[in-house]
Order: sequence, then structure tokens, then C-alpha cells
Amino acid sequence: MKSFNFFGDGGMVDALLVEVADLLKRLIETGEEGAIDLLGLPLSPHCLAELDQRLGAGEVDIRIDAFGLSQIRETGFPGVWRTRHVDQAGRVIASLIEVATAPQILRADAEDMKRGRQKLLDAAGAERNAGRSAA
Amino acid sequence: MQDAQDHGGETACGGETQACGGETLGSMLAARGVGRRSLLKFAIAMASSLALPPGIAPLMAANLAKAKRRSVIWLSCQECTGCLETLLRSASPTIDQLIFDFISLDYQETLMAAAGAAAEKTLRDAIAANKGEYLLAIDGSIPTKDSGVYSLTGGRSNLAMLKDIAADAKAILAVGTCAAFGGIPKAFPNPTGAVGVEDLVHDKPIVNIPGCPPVPEVLSGVLAYFISFGRLPDLDDRKRPLAYFGATIHDQCYRRAFYDQGKFAKSFDDEGARQGWCLFELGCKGPTTHNACASLKWNNGTSFPIQSGHGCIGCSEPDFWDAGSFYSSLAGGSATGWRNAGIAAAVGVAGGAAAALVARIKARDGDSHPDPEDKP
Repeated sequence: MKSFNFFGDGGMVDALLVEVADLLKRLIETGEEGAIDLLGLPLSPHCLAELDQRLGAGEVDIRIDAFGLSQIRETGFPGVWRTRHVDQAGRVIASLIEVATAPQILRADAEDMKRGRQKLLDAAGAERNAGRSAA
Repeated sequence: MQDAQDHGGETACGGETQACGGETLGSMLAARGVGRRSLLKFAIAMASSLALPPGIAPLMAANLAKAKRRSVIWLSCQECTGCLETLLRSASPTIDQLIFDFISLDYQETLMAAAGAAAEKTLRDAIAANKGEYLLAIDGSIPTKDSGVYSLTGGRSNLAMLKDIAADAKAILAVGTCAAFGGIPKAFPNPTGAVGVEDLVHDKPIVNIPGCPPVPEVLSGVLAYFISFGRLPDLDDRKRPLAYFGATIHDQCYRRAFYDQGKFAKSFDDEGARQGWCLFELGCKGPTTHNACASLKWNNGTSFPIQSGHGCIGCSEPDFWDAGSFYSSLAGGSATGWRNAGIAAAVGVAGGAAAALVARIKARDGDSHPDPEDKP
């Protein structure tokens, strides 16, 4: 299917970059995080490509495997992230610009950590018991 | 624009966002190896789908983790099972299907193993255990003529069952155009007196999720919103979720630019059709149809009818079956190809009728001799 540039590019991308700058100002001054849902905007593939090109690439590029792959890439602007969530069928289910010190999905959850710690202790106990049995 | 504060205080069963009885969804998913990142990812996808601000996703995920499974009772009335098929079938499991872990589908005649008296007992038990808290989902229209005798389950009319079960429901989801607006059973001459749920139930919150069939992600989104925030999403004047039905197919269509440029396909195999031009003149009902097909698409986001080369038939609008030919333009005409086909068909019918009339006249006049000019 042919793609075409329906809304024009320059205006939309410029407006988005200004909004990102506003969100970044808020993060710096108050610590409040922000995000822009790109799937909810009428952006052509051409427009998205230009946006990504102008945001550039930073030092961090992370993949998460949770119900399909997610890619989180730091842009050329610290604190600004491009996040793309894909489901197991390969469909893009969310495409965001996140403005945060680190996107929330990267941080380990408190409940998950509690369960993980218990598993760790259980595993250590199993190792100890196995060692005693061998001796 | 809604924000986290708008949703934080909402409750499903009073107090914190919750459902009623059993372990929390967070612990249930964790026991199956599904971590909070997956839940957050689900919430991000649902927030995007529901046109909520992305910042609300962590709150949505937290509410879902604290919530418990919500009992759903599903009644199938005068229907074809297409709605249920589309909601259950998928080429591969998607994150939307996590929603099926968040509900307890306590009664669904097509899917449940129980039958007969055991099924009826299951229904009674589910109602008693979740009185005032269960969601009632309905597919199919409800026949009302002759006391609703045209569709019965276990000897009870759909009409009687709906009134009984709706009385103790928290909210009602009318799934598909038939349940929402009467759909095809209501089409002229409507021999069973079919109507939609909202014509019969007036004292419960109702969400209409029309479509023939409906887009499955819309049901996932409505359920996720309800379980997360304990209330129904914002609705339009036809009780449809605004996030999915707020715009027309035409407004979201990728061929809209061709409409604006006046570039229309005139038949399904002309150069305009091959170029992907607008299907308005071939009868596309996109300009008057509210649905999410053009944005969410079908079959895991693969395509939707217009992308596959056929106009929208307007199946999510009331009385779509009686709204004229699928191939008549909303502007009032038919495109060349179909008009020619129609003329040819009309000529054929007229020719046949004339020949039959001549034959009958000849037979009446006793002229049964073969015409010498007739060839064998």
C-alpha cells in the first residue's frame, strides 16, 4: 500500500519537539515525568521517520521481553526516550516519547522484588541442603 | 483531558479499586510467571487504545494488580455467534487477551462445559455469589413479539432472562450491533419484534459495543477500564465508548486524502481502484459510520475492509441493513460499473418477464404450435 504525506511534516514534527522541550522543562524543575502517545496522533510513516531522525540516538538502547518485545532507546537528548511496545503477534501496541530520568517499565517492581528475594533464598537453601547431602 | 487524579478515587466495589472475592490479579499473574512489567505494558497499550494520557498507565497497572477477577455472565440471544467468534479467535495470543485472565466468565452457553440443569445451576450460583457486582454481557437482539417466544434457552425466553439477570448486574455490555441496536434480526420486516438491550433495560449502566462483528480490542479496552477504575468509560449519545466511536471511519481513513482531492474509484477494477483511491462512489459508508476499524484494524492489526479494497458497509450503525444497497453512494448514486451491471440485470429480468408473458398469452389463446422459425 502506498504511503503518502497526508498532514505535511515540518509543522507536526516541530510542534512535537516543542512539546517535548516543555515536558523536559517540567521534569527538570519539578521531577514530574511526561509522555506523548504517538499512536494517537495522525502521523504518516514519513513524519515518524523525520521525528526519529531529529530526536537522534543516545547512549542507551534496551530491549525488554515481556509479552512481546519492547524497545527503549534514549534519544540524543538526555531524559527523552523513544519507546516502542510490540505484542507477541508483532503488532505495535504503543509508541511513545517518554520524558523521565528512566522509563517506568525499566524499574523493578517492589512486589516482583519481594517474590524474587524469596526465590533467591529458596534457591540458596536448596544449594545448602544439596551440599550437606553430598557431604 | 483526563489525568490520574480523575481516576484515582474511583472504586469498583467500594473502597479501593477491587472486585469481589479471591486472590488479586497481581498475585495470580505472578504465580503464572507474568511480572508487573507485562501488566504495565498491557496498561500502556490499553491507555493508548482508550485515548487516555500515557501517564495514567502506571496507576491503571497498580489498580489492576490490586483488583480481583470480575464475574461476567454472558447471555447469547438472537445471534449468529459471530461476535463471540471474533472475540475469542486470534492468529496468536496477544497482550489484549490478558483481559481474559481478569474476568471470570461464569456463564456462556457456547463455551461452558456444563449443559442443561448443571448450566442453569451455574448461572444461579454466579448471580447469587456476585449479586450487584457482575457484568452482564449480551450478544444478539432480544425478540419481544408474542412474549419473546422466538428465542428460548432452557424453556425461558431471552426477554425474561434479560430482565431477571439485568436486575442484579453492575453494568451491561451490549456486544455487537444486534445487542446494541437490534441489528439484522431487527431489519425489515422484523418478524420477531427484535430490539436492542437499551430498549428494554432503563435502570442500569449500558455500554454499546456495536459492529457486525465488533472490534475485539474495544471489548478488551472497556473491560480493562472498568476493572481498573470501577466505572465505565465516557460514552457518546448512543452509549458507545467515545474513545473508539468518537470519530467516523472516514475521518481516520488513510484514503481520506484522495477524497479531499476528488480522486474516486468508479468500479472495483478500474485504475482508480488499483491506485487505492477513495471508495465513496462505490458505496463506502465510512463518512456516516462511527467505529475503530480504521485505527485498530482487524486480524492483529493487519487490515480493514477499505484497506482490502471494499467500502465500509456501516455495520456498527443502527439499522444499517435497511439503509439501502452497500453499493449505493451516500450521495445518492451508484458507480458506473455497478450501474451498468444493474442495468444489464434489469434488462435481463425484463426480457425474461416479457418472454414469460408472451408464452402465457400464447398458451391462453391456445397457440401451442411451435414457431417454424424456432431453431432446435
